[in-house]
Amino acid sequence: MSEDLENEDLERRLRRALAAVDPGEALVPRVMARIAAEPLQPARPARAGAVAGWLAFGLAASVILAVLLAHEWQVRRLEQGREARRQLIEALRVTDEKLHLAYRVVNTREGAAPQEHSGA
Amino acid sequence: MSGDDECTSGDLLTRALAGEQAAFGALVRRHQRPVYSLALRMLADRHAAEDLAQEVFLQLYRNLSPVSSEAHLAFWLRRVTLHRSIDRLRRTPRYESAAPEEAAATASETAHADPLLERRLQCLVRELPPAARAVVLLRYQEDLDPVDIARTLRMPVNTVKSHLKRSLAQLRERLSDKAEALT
Repeated sequence: MSEDLENEDLERRLRRALAAVDPGEALVPRVMARIAAEPLQPARPARAGAVAGWLAFGLAASVILAVLLAHEWQVRRLEQGREARRQLIEALRVTDEKLHLAYRVVNTREGAAPQEHSGA
Repeated sequence: MSGDDECTSGDLLTRALAGEQAAFGALVRRHQRPVYSLALRMLADRHAAEDLAQEVFLQLYRNLSPVSSEAHLAFWLRRVTLHRSIDRLRRTPRYESAAPEEAAATASETAHADPLLERRLQCLVRELPPAARAVVLLRYQEDLDPVDIARTLRMPVNTVKSHLKRSLAQLRERLSDKAEALT
């Protein structure tokens, strides 16, 4: 019976077979009853806009905070480096002084020793 | 005809957004037919289809604000109905098999020239896999073109076209098989 259905014919029959059907009178009252049972409020655009605004504000604040924290961390690292350098220079200076003192003591003793021997 | 029936969907949307439940009721009345029909043809069960249609409209009520126009509303309703139907079919595969009484009931609602052939076509459409069935329904019930079907179901246009081509071939073949079996 339908062996030689052409595409167009099949499509036309599909449109007829799949025509929208009426759900009857009960659907709308049932939906409205469910809405009344759950006191929901449709989301307002202003509310959605406010939420989006707060989200954008939070995101921007987070980015600024992250940049400030990164800058602070960098400054601290530089200060720690400078302090370490200063301490190293101080240690080298003290070491240099001590070595210089030791050198002088050794040289003084070496100069005084022959006089003691010749006097005896 | 009531006052709400004469309003445009844009007016009704604005009033429903302002919290006017009668306007939302009019929107439901205006769009209940395609929503219920899509659900019925996907699930092949009148009670499940009505339950799903109610859920879709409740979801619309909760998410009314992003809907900007009548076209957007129709698009949103089709998309949500089909995605919910496909989800329900995945969870409860019993809806996959067509119940003959449901087929008879839907066929009897549409008085056309060849109700026997139409009933067969409805049964054969229900035997298609859910994604292919959704594509066929959007094409032949809602009269959408492949680009709009692709947007609604979030699938590539070529996939829509191949679903349509394969489904038509499958329907034609099965219709021929049944015709041969009858002769």
